[in-house]
Amino acid sequence: MDHLSFPFISTGLASLAAGALIVLRVKSADKARQPALLMAALALVSFLLAAREVFAAGHGRLFDPLLPWFEADALDAVPMVFFAALTLVFLFMAPKRDADGRQLAGMLIISLATQTAYSAANLVMLAVGWWLTSLPFVLGLFGSHRGQKFAQGFLIASCVALTAGIVVLHTTHMEDLSHASLWAFGLLILAVILRKGIFPLHSWMVSAFEHGPLLPTALMFNGHLGALLIARSEATALPQTALHALNILGMAALVTALITSIRGFTEKKPRRLLAFICVSQASFILAGLATANAEGITGALVHWLVVSVASTGLICVVRALEVRVADAIDPQDYLGLAVKAPRLAAFFLICGLAIIGLPGTLGYCAEDLLFHGALENQPWLGFALPLATAFNAIHLIRLFGLLFLGVLPKHVIDIPDALPRERWPLAVCVVFLIAGGLMPWGVIGWRSSAAHAMQQALSNAPAVH
Amino acid sequence: MNLIPEQLLLTLVAIPGALFISLGILWLLGLPLPERVVSRLTKGTYALLLIIVTLLGWEMWQSSTPLIRVSLGDWFTVAHYGFPLTLLLDRLSLPMVAFTVILAGIVGSFSLRYLHRDPGFPRFFLLLHLFTFGALLVFTADSLDLLIAGWELVGITSVLLIGFFQYRREPVRNALRVFSTYRVADLNILLAVFLAHHWFGTASWQGLFPGEWPHHVNNLSGHGATVIAVLLVFAASGKSSQGPFCGWLPRAMEGPTPSSAVFYGAISVHAGAYLLLRIEPLIRSSWIATCLVIFIGLTTAFLGTLVHRTCADAKTSLAYASQTQLGIIFAEIGMGWTTLAVLHIVGHAMVRTMQFLRSPSMLHDHHRIHAAAGGQLDPTGEQYDSLLPQAVQVWLYRVALGRGFYDSIVDRFIIVPMKKISQSLAIFEPKWGGKNDV
Repeated sequence: MDHLSFPFISTGLASLAAGALIVLRVKSADKARQPALLMAALALVSFLLAAREVFAAGHGRLFDPLLPWFEADALDAVPMVFFAALTLVFLFMAPKRDADGRQLAGMLIISLATQTAYSAANLVMLAVGWWLTSLPFVLGLFGSHRGQKFAQGFLIASCVALTAGIVVLHTTHMEDLSHASLWAFGLLILAVILRKGIFPLHSWMVSAFEHGPLLPTALMFNGHLGALLIARSEATALPQTALHALNILGMAALVTALITSIRGFTEKKPRRLLAFICVSQASFILAGLATANAEGITGALVHWLVVSVASTGLICVVRALEVRVADAIDPQDYLGLAVKAPRLAAFFLICGLAIIGLPGTLGYCAEDLLFHGALENQPWLGFALPLATAFNAIHLIRLFGLLFLGVLPKHVIDIPDALPRERWPLAVCVVFLIAGGLMPWGVIGWRSSAAHAMQQALSNAPAVH
Repeated sequence: MNLIPEQLLLTLVAIPGALFISLGILWLLGLPLPERVVSRLTKGTYALLLIIVTLLGWEMWQSSTPLIRVSLGDWFTVAHYGFPLTLLLDRLSLPMVAFTVILAGIVGSFSLRYLHRDPGFPRFFLLLHLFTFGALLVFTADSLDLLIAGWELVGITSVLLIGFFQYRREPVRNALRVFSTYRVADLNILLAVFLAHHWFGTASWQGLFPGEWPHHVNNLSGHGATVIAVLLVFAASGKSSQGPFCGWLPRAMEGPTPSSAVFYGAISVHAGAYLLLRIEPLIRSSWIATCLVIFIGLTTAFLGTLVHRTCADAKTSLAYASQTQLGIIFAEIGMGWTTLAVLHIVGHAMVRTMQFLRSPSMLHDHHRIHAAAGGQLDPTGEQYDSLLPQAVQVWLYRVALGRGFYDSIVDRFIIVPMKKISQSLAIFEPKWGGKNDV
């Protein structure tokens, strides 16, 4: 069993936990933000060093020397670094009203939980991380919001489904295609459907975006734990029956992508529209993983990063506008904010165009691979995914127009453009999306070994007798 | 300095892209360049591009080289799939590239004065450079994969320039409508590329149509070839505002006049015709695709010329006139007259750009010509109209005034049903979480 040279993972997790504890009791946003940022930065450095060792080692898993139930491998090392960076972006971008000690602690706990799930060396630790992500919402660290019980119900249901699935798996042998193992896979897939907001259970995610605390919800959404669970399952030798279940999940993801993209046509509220776009685009990840070929899986894993970064940019800009102009929550007409906030408009547009796959951004490369892989394996996916992307692109431009174009309302006299605190994190997101698009081989290289491992495992799946 | 043609071609495409990125970064950092610097940069860039095109043309003519191909390997590769990054300059792409550089340069130079002190001045030039990069990529791409990249960039810059006057509602609404049309039309080209890879294992021009233009031959066969041909014909129709996608061009006139000239008079609308010229052997091999191209072209030309005569404003009238000429170009390609089509494209682009750029002075021009003719300007076209029965004339006039009822048909049969479907899908989103659920 190979180990990391230093307990980077436990250091990263401890930093996040310590950060959460430190800022929990701080009331002032100014005082809470600095320690939270410091600890999140420390976590980022730790995960970065862990990822560097994983890629230097070539392949295989490297366990944490201090806490051996955590590990880093080609699949999770990159998302770990990305999620740590996204946490930093969210902490920077959180407006003062969302940045008191409790809320920042809540975000750090979500980050801690997600990183726990990413680095879990077994399903039990993954379930621990899965449960922990719900904790800040259940504890009410982000205050009271309309519809929160509804969202919490789905979150907890997904946790229960996952736990039940793991319990069943541990009591049976995977090689036996008994009814028990089928139940286990069924429960795992149910957990994914509940967690990711797969059709017909997508409404809670839209509701959480609309009514819930936007930034923490987005942070939780961008963990993509459902995709992680599927990717982890694929990386192990699954029986053929489970592969059929994955195909069904792929179809469900496709339906979700299409239906949420169609739903956007009658939506005007920016948060809901964003939710439909994000859920639809995030469903591509599952659809790509279900293709079971190298192009599709690599595309899905790259798209995972694109959706995370681009949706973070979009959501942070929308939140920044909401605290500047109350009308941005439910605009009755075009808001014309580009006149006052041209840089926020530019950041929004670039992130948006990246998520829908404009050439020159990383989204284009991800979707190109994804569509090719999908068409090779499941022609329906290959036809339907571009259609969903086209619809999402229309919604995106509509949302851009609604927020940034048109006549500035008379009561909006002066609002600041992107503050330095906002400008730099957004610039990092944009640079990643564009540099990644111009030089995609780097990002694709990070994900190709994981994709290759998953494809190998899938092709070696034992047949049903 | 002795640059080889391959390096020149690469430089030609890269320069506007690099300029766009540099200006964009400076603007995002809060360091926008003054108008004078932008002016010099723009003039210098297009002068340089023109020199490069001239050198490339000279090189091809002198050495009797039918084409210049630059392969930069694969942009990215995964397993057996690679995205080829290869540029091609041949007898078809050279005139397209040349008129792109010349007309974009002319429009850029015109806009320096036209948009002087306009708040959107830096935005316009950013988008113009991105557009030039996209257009050069379309015309020099050696594969459908790379062509799409330029195609999409041309589309998005077009839409952003339609909404250039962002403080008015109509441009914003029209930009969204044009973007929606583009996206639906572009689905066809995306699917065509994926299917080309899926069925024939390649989307490069060399793989699909080996040989040198115009003597290249079709390498595809079977029903798959017909499907790809039809998809590409629809994609080209979308870009050139033809057939089922003919409604967006007048809406695009909301943008500033120079952008209307460069996009809808000159370069962007001809990208569809260029695609058809590139795949001409494929169209010729399928009677379905051939009939479709001719039918789309002739019907759009007829509708365009009809509506053009009833338009009250200069730019919309020019838009329909463009549509008419493009329809005729489509029909020429469908009939296999490719050389004529290339000449028609170049000539039409030049004339139409001049007309668009002069359109703000159209009344002045009219009065001058009217005075020069001694107040005796003959109305054109009435001699043909009078050949038709009165009832048909009235009916055609009504159709023309309603612009072929295109928008009403799209609204009634596409947008309204789509919204109904969208609303009906809301049943899966129960209104959980009432006021007490906090």
